[in-house]
Amino acid sequence: MNDDRGTQAGRRRQGRGVAAEGQGSDGDLGRDRFAGNLPPQLASDVTADVAATVAADGSDPEAIIRVVAWAIRPRRSPDGLRRACRDSDACDDPFKHVVTLAGAPASDEIAATRQVLTAWQQRGVKVALVGDPLYPQPLAEAFPTTPAPVWVAWRGEAIDKAPSIAIVGARRASGYGTAVAAWLAESVARAGVRVVSGGARGIDAAAHRAALEAPGGTAVVLGCGHAVDYPRPHAAPAGLFDQVVDHGGTLLSECLPFEQPRAGVVRARNRIVAGLVDAVVIVEGGERSGALLTASAAADWGRAVLAVPGDVRAPGSAAPHRLLSEGAAPCTSPDDVLEVLTGLGTHQVAAVSRLTEHDRDRSTRVLADAVWNVLAEAWPRPVRLEDLAVASGVPDARLMALLTQARIAGELSEGHDGIRLRREPADVSPHRCP
Amino acid sequence: MTVAPMRGALVHLRGVAMVGLEAYPVGIECARSPGLPALRLVGLPGAAVREAEERMRTAVQRSGFSWPRDRVVINLAPADLPKVGTGFDLPLALAVLAVTGQLDPCRVEGVSAFGELGLDGRIRSPRGQVTAARGAREAGAGRIMVAAGGAGEAALVPGIDVVGVADLTEAVDVLEGRRNPRRVAPITTSTSRRSLDLADVRGQPIARRAIELAAAGGHHVLLIGPPGCGKTMLAHRLHGLLPELSHDEAIDVAEIASIGGERRPDDSLSLDPPIRAPHHGATMAALVGGGAGIPRPGEMTLAHHGVLLLDELLEMPRRVLDALREPLEHGRIVVSRANARVEYPARVLLVAASNGCPCGYLGDTRRTCRCDPAAVERYRARLSGPLLDRIDLQVAVQPVEGARLAGPPDGESTEVVSQRVAAARRRAAQRWATMVGEKTVVRCANRDVEPRLARDAAGSKVVARLVDSLDRLGMSARAVDSCLRVAWTIADVDGDDRLSHDHVDEAVAYRAMDTNGRGE
Repeated sequence: MNDDRGTQAGRRRQGRGVAAEGQGSDGDLGRDRFAGNLPPQLASDVTADVAATVAADGSDPEAIIRVVAWAIRPRRSPDGLRRACRDSDACDDPFKHVVTLAGAPASDEIAATRQVLTAWQQRGVKVALVGDPLYPQPLAEAFPTTPAPVWVAWRGEAIDKAPSIAIVGARRASGYGTAVAAWLAESVARAGVRVVSGGARGIDAAAHRAALEAPGGTAVVLGCGHAVDYPRPHAAPAGLFDQVVDHGGTLLSECLPFEQPRAGVVRARNRIVAGLVDAVVIVEGGERSGALLTASAAADWGRAVLAVPGDVRAPGSAAPHRLLSEGAAPCTSPDDVLEVLTGLGTHQVAAVSRLTEHDRDRSTRVLADAVWNVLAEAWPRPVRLEDLAVASGVPDARLMALLTQARIAGELSEGHDGIRLRREPADVSPHRCP
Repeated sequence: MTVAPMRGALVHLRGVAMVGLEAYPVGIECARSPGLPALRLVGLPGAAVREAEERMRTAVQRSGFSWPRDRVVINLAPADLPKVGTGFDLPLALAVLAVTGQLDPCRVEGVSAFGELGLDGRIRSPRGQVTAARGAREAGAGRIMVAAGGAGEAALVPGIDVVGVADLTEAVDVLEGRRNPRRVAPITTSTSRRSLDLADVRGQPIARRAIELAAAGGHHVLLIGPPGCGKTMLAHRLHGLLPELSHDEAIDVAEIASIGGERRPDDSLSLDPPIRAPHHGATMAALVGGGAGIPRPGEMTLAHHGVLLLDELLEMPRRVLDALREPLEHGRIVVSRANARVEYPARVLLVAASNGCPCGYLGDTRRTCRCDPAAVERYRARLSGPLLDRIDLQVAVQPVEGARLAGPPDGESTEVVSQRVAAARRRAAQRWATMVGEKTVVRCANRDVEPRLARDAAGSKVVARLVDSLDRLGMSARAVDSCLRVAWTIADVDGDDRLSHDHVDEAVAYRAMDTNGRGE
């Protein structure tokens, strides 16, 4: 009896203690409330266990704890460690120096570090520090002078040395831009090139989706932490991000798990997109598009920059046209991208076996020829439904039924500005005028 | 036989109290007793009923009768039912005349009356003439005395003898048998629409088709597109495609309009389906009904058997949008207030129009939309899933080029299309009546058909294929029944007895809110 009462009182006391601590906490990220109750030795042991599951093959869990513990202190960011490393004199091995600079974590940082690591662990995220075997090779080049992240955290497959390109552009994309992005992405991914982008709506998402199932695969560089659902439809269960991981792609982030997609963070993400790849293709973007940041980062990293010409009057053509005037290579077909990759000499890239709708036997094609021809003529521009009805001459009722069948067969894509063929039509090739 | 006026004698008449479209018989008991001159009205009289005393006193005196110089008590039974409106003037005045012996009390015993008095003794017809007559009939009255001006309206109710009287003197004369009741002129029916012709719409073949299907199957329809693309124009044309109301429906509509104060009693009986187009700033009370005291019918009820046109649907507050759900599903609205619970019918055809994004220009080829993609998603998310599920037809409408706008009409006229609509409706009614084994063909639009029936009629193969299609398109399985209903309408319009794959596939294509922008 007495014992029981004592335990209850003890629990109550503990409860109060927790509440008081909660109120008094400064809202520090990841302050584990029960941490204070664990003996310091035990706390760091538990943290080490979590770190061991989060660390990628060949990465040192202890080093990860040190670096993360350094970065989560107030007014610090992972990039601070890189800058400190860059500015320090003794730097024969910058990768080791980073860990040395981070130092041993203070006992009160252990718990917060564990919460960060646990958040990663729960989502099956792996972490590698710069210089580790599974840290993406292109990013680690010339560290710490280039703005490479001190660590990367990813879901899915680690990024290997395969050739890769970035396809980036506006979130508010036109049907034309989306079609071109998907065309380029699918074609180069079929040639074994990885397609990297920022996972945003619009062009980014179109590129990821198109490359998803092809051999090259795709990698998303998030503009926020792994525990944040952004953009919401993509992060939803069975959404784009889950599909990327399921198809052997990568969901990569340099952020702490709960980092919100603030403008600065999202923009900083663009430099990683550029650093990961051999060439960057800008499809659409406004005057102040983030795609321009990716392009300038690409120039800093020494990557090739290509731009897809657009409609001269469309607001979404501002960014690519500016890049073209500044000397970016025009990109008018997947071949242009592959030529650039081959020209770099770093990779052997197979010529693309053009994936067009002629892969689909004409006899199994769902769309009637009359409808097909109108869409093929316009491709990659979309056709409005009403115009399609008039131009094809197919009766409205029949047309609507056909469209449903073609959607099911995957022959069509559609956006707010109309319907278009999902793939480049073989019969007509508007991008190559004789 | 005349009975001498007796102090303490009781006079019984009958009036009608209305709560919404429900009419309750009210017993009017009148007694006279010694005391200072006063008229006491008890039994929860509303403000207008209490004011009746002044109208009655003047009207009685001006009609050549005298107002009692002692105490008169009138009880309105049941005493706990609130009585509102001016229809009690006439029975109350008759009661006073009878209790004072100026009118034979035997002649008024059990008489039902409904009318408002003017100071000169003239009798006007208050709101709710039809409801009053129906209520009196349901209470077992064989005859009701109403204002001559509204007699035609009251006479729409079968099974009750309507006596129209112009003033108090005539009422007394008729009751005493000194004058024959005047003949009630049967109300004339009329139609007046067809002014907005579908031929005025240029281009828009798909949207026209959707409008035709909506009219034929009674499907709710949502038109999405940039400003100036003709959404509102199309929505108004839908009204012209609907068949005329049946006589019973027309009476329902007239009754609601009368209760809502939207109709003069001497108006002819319109066979046009009503159309109501409340502004998107309308409150919930304005839309579903409400107001102080006994809730008045809202726009949805006033559009009963007709069209409810909601322009700028997505600009309406979310709360108001969600209030539409139940009425759209069940065809009626229950409004509960502190002192009354009223049920109103609301079987409407919802025609909604909306921009695709907050700035409006999403999908416009002439101007560029400036909305953030996330903002567009939020804007569209205002239309909750359950409400969207009830809108069978969702069509993206795009602007028509100027050249075609200026050109000659390029589509069918309302006359041609409405014939097809009528034929399709007949075909549907015939089919569903046969399927449920009814001899008589009832009016049953495809929208109202039970999901089980629609599935049975389609056959399991067609349904299985549809479920598979929706799954492949990433659409919710909740759309199955909606697509089937539309598919049946398509078959009806095309004159087919069986549901083909093409019918179903076409139906699936009218789900723009589900498919448009998917996978982008």
